[in-house]
Amino acid sequence: MELFTPEFGLIFWMFVSFAILFFILARFAWPWILKSIDERARMIDEGVEKTRQAEESLANAKLTAERYEKEAVARQAEILREADRMKTQIIEEARGQASVEAKKVLEAAQLSIEQMRKEAQARMRDEVSALAIDIATKVVRQQMADDESQSKLVNSLLDEISNN
Amino acid sequence: MCFLMKKLIVYISILLVAALMALGWARTESHEGQEINPKEIIFEHLGDAYGWELPFNHDIRLPLPIIIRAEDGSWHCFSSSCVAHGAVHDGRFAIGDEASGYNGKVIELRPDGSVYRPLDFSITKNVAALFVTVIVVASVFLSLARYYRRNGMKAPRKFKGAMEFLVDFIYGGIVKPTLKDKAPKFAPYLMTVFMFIFVANLLGLVVIFPGGANLTGNIAITLVLALFTFFMTNVFGTKHYWKDVFWPDVPLWLKFPLPIMPVIEVFGVFTKPAALTVRLFANMMGGHMIVIVLTLLIFIFAAMNVWVGGVTSVVSVLFSVFMLLIDVLVSFIQAFVFTMLSTLFISLAQEGGHEE
Repeated sequence: MELFTPEFGLIFWMFVSFAILFFILARFAWPWILKSIDERARMIDEGVEKTRQAEESLANAKLTAERYEKEAVARQAEILREADRMKTQIIEEARGQASVEAKKVLEAAQLSIEQMRKEAQARMRDEVSALAIDIATKVVRQQMADDESQSKLVNSLLDEISNN
Repeated sequence: MCFLMKKLIVYISILLVAALMALGWARTESHEGQEINPKEIIFEHLGDAYGWELPFNHDIRLPLPIIIRAEDGSWHCFSSSCVAHGAVHDGRFAIGDEASGYNGKVIELRPDGSVYRPLDFSITKNVAALFVTVIVVASVFLSLARYYRRNGMKAPRKFKGAMEFLVDFIYGGIVKPTLKDKAPKFAPYLMTVFMFIFVANLLGLVVIFPGGANLTGNIAITLVLALFTFFMTNVFGTKHYWKDVFWPDVPLWLKFPLPIMPVIEVFGVFTKPAALTVRLFANMMGGHMIVIVLTLLIFIFAAMNVWVGGVTSVVSVLFSVFMLLIDVLVSFIQAFVFTMLSTLFISLAQEGGHEE
């Protein structure tokens, strides 16, 4: 029966020891331990959530990047095509312009050549007429040396006039 | 397969040799003194003592201080070795025998031959084991707390990691889910209770000094623990809890004019700690008792016949090892159950009504 009758001394010591243990641990141990465990658990939960979000946004970012890449490739092709087109156009334009310029130059050259030719013609004509007059003068002077021939000419001229 | 068989044969032969050796020793032991008295040995191991038995010798005890208040009101403090082996200290203090009615306790001999049981605050074996338990629990968890203070959120490894796992198992497994936002208020008490019971249980299973005391199998210890829970439950109980005790939500005829339900409820307030007390006490004491009885079987049968004793010792050792393993499990389960029920009782007294 002694097993079932609590001993007062043991109750006293148990009360004192357990109370001391409780106050020591409640003051210096449990708050720190439980706080750390709670905080770590919270951090792990948050970390998992953050990782999930990060993965999601990474997947989104990948999709966006792919879209951008595709767009970029399309744009590149377009730009290249445009550039090609512009190149041809520029060349065409340049060629057209060049031919116009060349024509202009040619025309100018032809004009100046024509002018020069005309000038040369005029001068030649002047010179030829001067020469012809000169020659005619000399011939006339030779032929009209005597009076008879002079009167013969006057008569013929008069005939001509009267005939008219 | 063959290798396993070989191993098994080696183990069995080692066991047999050990059993035969133990047998010879047991025979000499039992023949040296008087007939062994199983009841006395069992109750000595389960109960309290003024000295702490040291390994390998039954007679040498670690002396512990005896602190008593004599009948005349004077306080006395002396070593337990002063009253060992039937010695009388100071002409009046001795250890009582069965005839005195105070078997194994310190008694004061009156001049007229009658005995008086002094007020006893001795540091007995159980009190010393209690101090050891308190020191172990305090040092383990103070060092764990220091680790957290130094390392912040870093997870501890090895022993501290195992302790953290244990703490988290109880705190995250029972205390927090049951008490929810009230958890920080009661967690220190519940964690202390669990760790104290668990360490005390395990130290009780260590057969030799500084373990081996049947601490949690002592009704005084479990009674104090249950009283702490009783105190925590009722002092911090809400208005709703008290209303439920004295004026529960039952048909009127159950509480007026005959207060049937209130009587049952008030009775329940006191049976809860009583159940806590007895459950832990009976489980731990039972475990200790079975292991001791199984061990004693060796000595009882060895006194009969060598061969019967040999066979019994092998069987007994196997059974004791099995029972000790079960007791390790029970140590945890009982600590767990005590904490769980305490949490439950406290949380029931924290309920704020039915609107939640």
